[in-house]
Amino acid sequence: MNEFTNNPIDINQLPKFEEVQLKGLHPKYVTVLLFNFSLLLILVIVGFSTLFYFNQDAFSNAIWMTILVGLVLILAGLVLFTKFSFHKKGYAFREHDAIYKSGLISETTTIIPFNRVQHVALHQGFISRKLGLASIELFTAGGSSSDLEIPGLLLADAQIIKNLVSQKINPPKQDEPIQIASTETPLTEEHE
Amino acid sequence: MNKSVDFSQPQRQSLPGILVMFANSLQKTVRALWPMLLIWLVKFDTLNKLVFFGSVAGVVVLIGIISYLQYLFFTFHIDEENGEFVIQKGVLNKTRITIQLHKIQQVNINQSLIQRLVGVHKLEIDTAGSDKKEASISAISHELATILKERLINHSQSELTENAEKNVEEITPTSFIKIGLPSLIKIGFTSNYIKSFALIFLFFTTIVENLQQLNAEVIDEDQVTNYLDTLPIYTSIFIVIGFFITLILLVNLVRTILKYFDFTIQKSKQAIILSYGLLSTKNTLLNPNKVQKIKVTQNYFQKKLDVTTIGIHQASSDAEKVKEKDQIEVPGCAEIERDAILKLLLGQLPQKGTMYLPNWRKLAVNTFFFLLVPIAITLFLNHKTEFVTWNDWFMYTAIFSVFAGVMLWFSFKNYKLFVSNDFIIKQNGAWDIDTTIIEPYKIQAIETQQFFWQKATNIGSVTLSTAGGTVSFTTGNYTEIKQLVNYWLYEVETWEKNWM
Repeated sequence: MNEFTNNPIDINQLPKFEEVQLKGLHPKYVTVLLFNFSLLLILVIVGFSTLFYFNQDAFSNAIWMTILVGLVLILAGLVLFTKFSFHKKGYAFREHDAIYKSGLISETTTIIPFNRVQHVALHQGFISRKLGLASIELFTAGGSSSDLEIPGLLLADAQIIKNLVSQKINPPKQDEPIQIASTETPLTEEHE
Repeated sequence: MNKSVDFSQPQRQSLPGILVMFANSLQKTVRALWPMLLIWLVKFDTLNKLVFFGSVAGVVVLIGIISYLQYLFFTFHIDEENGEFVIQKGVLNKTRITIQLHKIQQVNINQSLIQRLVGVHKLEIDTAGSDKKEASISAISHELATILKERLINHSQSELTENAEKNVEEITPTSFIKIGLPSLIKIGFTSNYIKSFALIFLFFTTIVENLQQLNAEVIDEDQVTNYLDTLPIYTSIFIVIGFFITLILLVNLVRTILKYFDFTIQKSKQAIILSYGLLSTKNTLLNPNKVQKIKVTQNYFQKKLDVTTIGIHQASSDAEKVKEKDQIEVPGCAEIERDAILKLLLGQLPQKGTMYLPNWRKLAVNTFFFLLVPIAITLFLNHKTEFVTWNDWFMYTAIFSVFAGVMLWFSFKNYKLFVSNDFIIKQNGAWDIDTTIIEPYKIQAIETQQFFWQKATNIGSVTLSTAGGTVSFTTGNYTEIKQLVNYWLYEVETWEKNWM
């Protein structure tokens, strides 16, 4: 241990995670969210429609109406919920850690220091690929509960972030010039 | 000790090991064929005795030959050149397992009942990678096993900490702590009631079910009920409860002693060796660097008797299903021993530091969910079905309320978080009071959480993830929590110390 100092730390002087300006997800990501929901909803609707078509007597007319109204309400609720919760999602990268905040009813902020990240992954789902979006997942040794996934990033941004984090995990050697890896990375990397 | 064993040449297991393999194969065969065996036993009289005993003898001989061949083809050695430990095995399908020495995390020496009878040990190697390809040698003499273990561990250690202090201490491990029978008896009487109760319950239900299926009248139910009916109601209740309590205590006692008999903690160079067990001896190697979370549990009785249980959670390669061996329990330490173990694992005794308490709303919310909601549900159900008379309902509800109220109050009162520079200590529990200790630099991720209705009252929760499990503190002052999070982040991000 060289140059040992042990000055008292003023907790109020420490950088505050809650005051970091968070960056919202890409607006197109709403489409992905809605698409995922609508898949589920379509399944439910198809189920009820077939039931209605083949066996109309299963429920009385009043109940059929209730189901219809209920479905419409759920649909509207889901759309609203998705819209609002989308605006609650946000991320930020600081010098030493990654922050991701989400949640409408329960607001959750997850913070992972870069020196605890084991590896980074870039995911692209079917819809995301069509829209040019991607998500970044940071893995730690703390198990799935402490992994962090940031969805709804532009592919280019996601790749920059991925390279940034990779560099933070495995810092390049001092004497080697740091390459601007983001432009070099071939586009084959994101097929996961 | 004979230190000149040459591990660079392929070695076989010790000869009595054939018996172990034989027993293992036999067990597997019996397990695979038991339905057939059962049918044969039932129809025993109608079978041709010669064919029956002939085939049994044939199978046994066959297993014997296979065991011998397995023994013959199983070799292990250390490849010094490549720094690998190599196991070759297989009669027809040849398998070659190589393990890089520096990837070895743990070497365990265990002994099952059969191995104990034959006088051999099992050596298991745990690596950082997947748990599928773990290597084990199922029959090796104790002497050889210890030498091999030292050799393997030293290799992995010396490569890991090259620049660390290389002062080679005493080679023979020094006995550090020994947990005697009295402590085990104390622990056996005072812990794990629920676990044992569940075990007994399971046991009884299985037996009763089987008895009913067989229509056997081993115990005449009516007789028992009649006998209990002759007694006054309270006496019979006391008899039944007393019977169960004694049974639970007995089962507890036997389980604890069987599992933890002769619990010894030894310290050698950089690792800690734990060995315990009556019927099957377990020998586990513990690396203090791998320890992520320590949980000290004590209840009221145990406090009076001066015994505690320490749970040690290590970093596990697969956090989803934490492996059994990554969670080690040290039962029945006295206060001095507990402090010694904590010192050994953490380097110093944890100081408690600043105390943080939950908001009173935690008590209110818990009371609502665990006291009022259950009462409301029973009220509703009883209203619908009239399952018990209302007088009875009042009596049960009163008993439940008092019990639950006391539990809720104590669990609220014991819920505390202590934060100092080097430690985060969380205390919780109503009867069994758990004290969880983690070191800030072992935090992997931090999560803060707040419900929207908690914003007005400035309440929130925080969850700290380590590689050995999580610690969370709920319903605390959110400003304080955010301050703490900033502080912990600062610690994690500036400390050079490696978390494992």
